[in-house]
Amino acid sequence: MKRGLLLAVLALAPAVANAQEGPGLRRGHFTIGAAAAWSGGYEVGDSQALLRGNGPGTSPTPYALFNAKSRLTSATGPMLQVGLALSRTLAFEGGATFTHPHVGVSITGDVEAPAQDLPGERLEQYLFEAGLTWQLPVRLGPRIAPFVSAGGGYLRQLHEDRTLVETGQIYHAGVGARYWLRGGGAASKAIGLRGDVRLNLRRQGIDFENKMRAYPTLSLSAFIGL
Amino acid sequence: MIRLTAATAALLITIGSASSSAYLKLGAMVNGKVVDATWQQQPIGLFISDRGSNGITVADVRGAVERAAATWSAVNAAQVRIAVQGITSAPPEGTDGKNTIGFLDRPDLDRVLGATSFMVDTTTGEIYEADIFFNTSFLFSVSPGGQSDRIDLESLALHEMGHMLGLGHSAIGETEVLSNGRRRVVGSGAVMFPLAMTAGTIADRVLHADDIAGIVDLYPTAEGVLETGGIVGRVTKNGQGVRGAHVIAFNPETNVLIGNFTLETTGDFVIGRLPPGPYILRVEPLDDAEPDNFFPAAVDTNFKVTYAPRMVVAPRGGSSAPIEIQVSPK
Repeated sequence: MKRGLLLAVLALAPAVANAQEGPGLRRGHFTIGAAAAWSGGYEVGDSQALLRGNGPGTSPTPYALFNAKSRLTSATGPMLQVGLALSRTLAFEGGATFTHPHVGVSITGDVEAPAQDLPGERLEQYLFEAGLTWQLPVRLGPRIAPFVSAGGGYLRQLHEDRTLVETGQIYHAGVGARYWLRGGGAASKAIGLRGDVRLNLRRQGIDFENKMRAYPTLSLSAFIGL
Repeated sequence: MIRLTAATAALLITIGSASSSAYLKLGAMVNGKVVDATWQQQPIGLFISDRGSNGITVADVRGAVERAAATWSAVNAAQVRIAVQGITSAPPEGTDGKNTIGFLDRPDLDRVLGATSFMVDTTTGEIYEADIFFNTSFLFSVSPGGQSDRIDLESLALHEMGHMLGLGHSAIGETEVLSNGRRRVVGSGAVMFPLAMTAGTIADRVLHADDIAGIVDLYPTAEGVLETGGIVGRVTKNGQGVRGAHVIAFNPETNVLIGNFTLETTGDFVIGRLPPGPYILRVEPLDDAEPDNFFPAAVDTNFKVTYAPRMVVAPRGGSSAPIEIQVSPK
């Protein structure tokens, strides 16, 4: 019994040693990835169609013709990523994401029409981002490594008729993990999968109240280390 | 050689009214086509009729008219200049080559606060002469803060001068029916709405977005053309065009309301001179109004208030792609 346990410990020793080293990036090498990205929806503004009220003074109480609550819907689209490993744990990354969210509108408070949700217009939305990922010194397994990420980007939104472009900025922070199907060492090219969860802050772009908006994104990608 | 035709537009008090929509322009038929009736030469000279009424002096009238003229002239993207040139003993009616504004006894028009009459050259669409009268059957005020039992003269002058410049009535407004069967304005989105606010109200001394879009459409500066856009489309019911539908464009970012009508049986509409941006479109029938307050044609009122399924962008310096808005019968 005691001998059997000793053999098992000896057999595991190389794996433990490898896990202590952990998988990592190849410093000075590029990684490219293709992903499916989901972007959560968020409000883009409440507004009221107001008529000038009939009362004394220069600003009588207005009369609301209807209320409109607008929302950018969630959307899924392709994402391309390129990363440059600055070290085994730190990478500079850039990415581009293309999605087709809608600007949906909920109408309420119209005395002549029922409350209703308008399907809204379909946008073309492009997001170009750059940022850093840092692999955490946490061992989850021999092939998997968690990381945190942060960065920012440029948002470009085209309205449905392609006659108006709105631009904005995105700031993000998130967590994720890389799973190496192959490689992960200093001397071998890598193939793997990667998942990201991010919280984004969007400034400008389509927004009828010009507020900073927060929304989540999820992405799952396949990457190749060059 | 100049063929002239006369027309009149009035500001009414407590009669049938519309709910919501649009600036409308006055037109003249030239060679079988309707063209905008506009002044070709500026400044437009005005004379004040030398008559007061119920405590309002000629100087009071002149002050109210000059303030109203300054309000129209201050629209940046429009080229409008109005100059008060003096006092005249002529009444504000008839054809005498002078544009006259002032009080007139019209007890027969017991619901008309004031009216504008035109002479239009039917070969060019040029407005040749215009007179504006304020009906002495009513009490008016020029008090800076308004007077509770009197109609604000500056607001009335602003409305009538809109007609003088070539604007018709807007239908952006809501009314309620009173116990006596008459209507009261509860909200208005245009100085050019055909029903007056109640006595004492002075809020209509300021132009709305709909009024501004209308005057820019008639007298655009180069900047006014480049810096605004339009929305075009068609209102249909069971596949056929709807005439007389009100289409309101509402920008959820700036909260401006600007509209127009479908003027032909094709159901086509154009809302021009919009500040660029996305708009929510709302279509409604003229079913609680006197349609002839707006234009002299039969209109279809048998359809429900309908929103366009999506927002439409008025592009800077251009027009949107046409959008069809399908309405259903009531």
